[in-house]
Amino acid sequence: MSAPAIVARHLKKRFGTFVAVDDVSFEVERGEIFGYLGANGAGKSTTIRILCGLLEPTSGTATVAGHSVAEDPEAVKASIGYMSQKFSLYLDLPVAENLAFFGGAYGLSGRALRRRTEEVLELSGLAEVRDAQTGSLPGGIRQRLALGCAVLHQPEIVFLDEPTAGVDPTARRIFWKLIRELSRGGTTVFVTTHYLDEAEYCARIGLMVDGRLVALDTPAQLKRTHVPDRMFAVRGPNAARASGPLRQVAGVRNVEPFGAGLHVRAEPGRCEAQTLRAAAGAAGHQVEVEPIDPTLEDVFLAVVGRSAKKEEDGA
Amino acid sequence: MPRRPSRRTQFLAVVRKETLQTARDKRMLVMLLGGPLLQLLVFGYAVDFKVDRVPTVVVDGDQTSESREHARGLMADGTLRWVKGGKSEDGGGSRNGRRSSSSANVAPPPVTPSVGATSGSPGAEGPAPLDRLGVSGAGPMPVAEADAALVNGDAAAAIILPKGFSRDLARGETAHVQVVIDGTDPNRATVAGAAVAGYFAEVSGDLLRARLAQQATRPATASGGISLVPRIWFNPGLDSPPFMIPGVMAMLVIIVTTIVTAMGLAREREMGTLEQVLVTPIRPSVLLLGKLLPYVVIGFLDVALALAIGAYVFDLPIRGSRALLAAATFVYLLSTLGVGLLISTISKTQQQAFLGGFLFAMPAILLSGVMTPIRSMPLWLQAVTYLNPLRYYVEVLRANLLKGAGWSDLWTQLVALLVFGVGILFVATMRFRKRAV
Repeated sequence: MSAPAIVARHLKKRFGTFVAVDDVSFEVERGEIFGYLGANGAGKSTTIRILCGLLEPTSGTATVAGHSVAEDPEAVKASIGYMSQKFSLYLDLPVAENLAFFGGAYGLSGRALRRRTEEVLELSGLAEVRDAQTGSLPGGIRQRLALGCAVLHQPEIVFLDEPTAGVDPTARRIFWKLIRELSRGGTTVFVTTHYLDEAEYCARIGLMVDGRLVALDTPAQLKRTHVPDRMFAVRGPNAARASGPLRQVAGVRNVEPFGAGLHVRAEPGRCEAQTLRAAAGAAGHQVEVEPIDPTLEDVFLAVVGRSAKKEEDGA
Repeated sequence: MPRRPSRRTQFLAVVRKETLQTARDKRMLVMLLGGPLLQLLVFGYAVDFKVDRVPTVVVDGDQTSESREHARGLMADGTLRWVKGGKSEDGGGSRNGRRSSSSANVAPPPVTPSVGATSGSPGAEGPAPLDRLGVSGAGPMPVAEADAALVNGDAAAAIILPKGFSRDLARGETAHVQVVIDGTDPNRATVAGAAVAGYFAEVSGDLLRARLAQQATRPATASGGISLVPRIWFNPGLDSPPFMIPGVMAMLVIIVTTIVTAMGLAREREMGTLEQVLVTPIRPSVLLLGKLLPYVVIGFLDVALALAIGAYVFDLPIRGSRALLAAATFVYLLSTLGVGLLISTISKTQQQAFLGGFLFAMPAILLSGVMTPIRSMPLWLQAVTYLNPLRYYVEVLRANLLKGAGWSDLWTQLVALLVFGVGILFVATMRFRKRAV
């Protein structure tokens, strides 16, 4: 089957007068890691909840794993795993009992349940804490358990709503390793996140701003499209002081402090690293200049800035 | 991957999870099983509608042997208890009563003059010879004191035998007795009034017969009146516990099952676990049935526990069919659990659920006939009680336990409970399904 894992068509969700999701359409390919980015309140969770059948859209349609969310929510639910933004397993039960309950809810029993429980405990590295009370575990381990519960029934698609919020960097790294393993195994992963470094792991990224999907592409293409300028990192003992002279260089659009140094954004083809180094040197500042790739952060800021500007102009 | 998961598997998973959660929650277990125990004992011992030992002061303005005889006679059956300036006397007269701890008056022993008394006045029991000498002096003071005793609560009834009481009786004139009763507790007032009236009715009857016998040439047979001999069935001792315990059982079930169910679901909503469950392919009806089953078991345990305590501690009889009892409990549980579920669908937080449960439980208990008879309520309120499942269950329990009533006597109540239970559960499930999260 090569039909897309998720098809969203003109999804709209209105809460009173507030439009949380506004005419959102996209497709997610099978087996891909699809990142859904946006600020708080941009409509990420609402989209996920619509796709999981937890929320009815005001208008628009969604097909998940080949089933219409509106017409056959049960089939959709049987095909997906969901991990909510807030940790939502039973804190008063041991790890293994949480797995047993959600396994049962997905229809696993007997030998199948035992086999999958062992596999998940193994995969997520939770074998040692299987009898520990869930509430006593640190956040990172809880998140892995939540993921374990979501994939126990081997769903075609998993929806992860900010799975790594509030989790330390090591735990985040382990978690993303698990996500990539799932994807390699053929599972489609739909993930929302705040962390733009995590978004780099995604095959494609959708960017939400105020309920609208304003950009959707691979990370590399997004950078090319939204940050066409060239980026240079300027480092050196007095790098910060070179910002004035660097601004004067033809083709430079923007100079911003970045750590102890500077990030320079310039029109493509109009200036090179040497030009910048020479300009700083002429002003008496010895600096190193190096071309760099724009980050998703740059993309995010460019896109959000543009949307905000459009809004102002419109108003 | 299972396309359509088996409902049985899902149901069992929910039951297992719910049972484990309840069993692991020590506080919850105490509340579910220990609470009922405590309530039953408290209600069984403390709630006693039988009125006796009503503290009574006697103002004897007559001070004759007859008047004292009547005062003692009034106390004889134990309904009234003679309180005399801080000391009570149990009809017998000669024996000193227990000293009441009331601060009104520190009374000295009968014979000694009341030196230490704060008011400086002799108590009503003050040395008789002295009073007889100063006849007029005995009157006003005790009346004021009796008045004070009624006001400060040392006495709930005052009996005033006026001067000349026995003289009037002896002359064959109508003698007057004043009885003042504290009406703040209507039940007690009624009983105390009836005791006094009963006593004097008897005395009048005796006097009348005696007088007739004197006037008649032949000795009066003194019969021919209507003799009323009440025989009380089912609870001949008119003990409160056998009446109260069925009511308390019904209350317990409401508190345990309704409030706990409402709060349990509200907690899942609050914690976000409900959302996690709702993205699984589990059907709402399967989920709810699985969640309710453990509480059905707990409800039965509570009823059994209450029956055991009732039987062993309070001599509660179990005269009717146990199968009927179990059936009634089951259909009643459908209602109480259904209401809990319904409350949980309209509350967002555990506090709201608790309050909702409480707001249901209070009127349900008050309108059930547990505490006060339904027939003494205004008609429109009586009509409301027909919508109260608690009412039917209490009726079944009392009739079954105390009177041994059977299926043919109680089928209407059972049907009513079944209709309520299924109806409420249905509505609650529909509402739950509609506003899933």
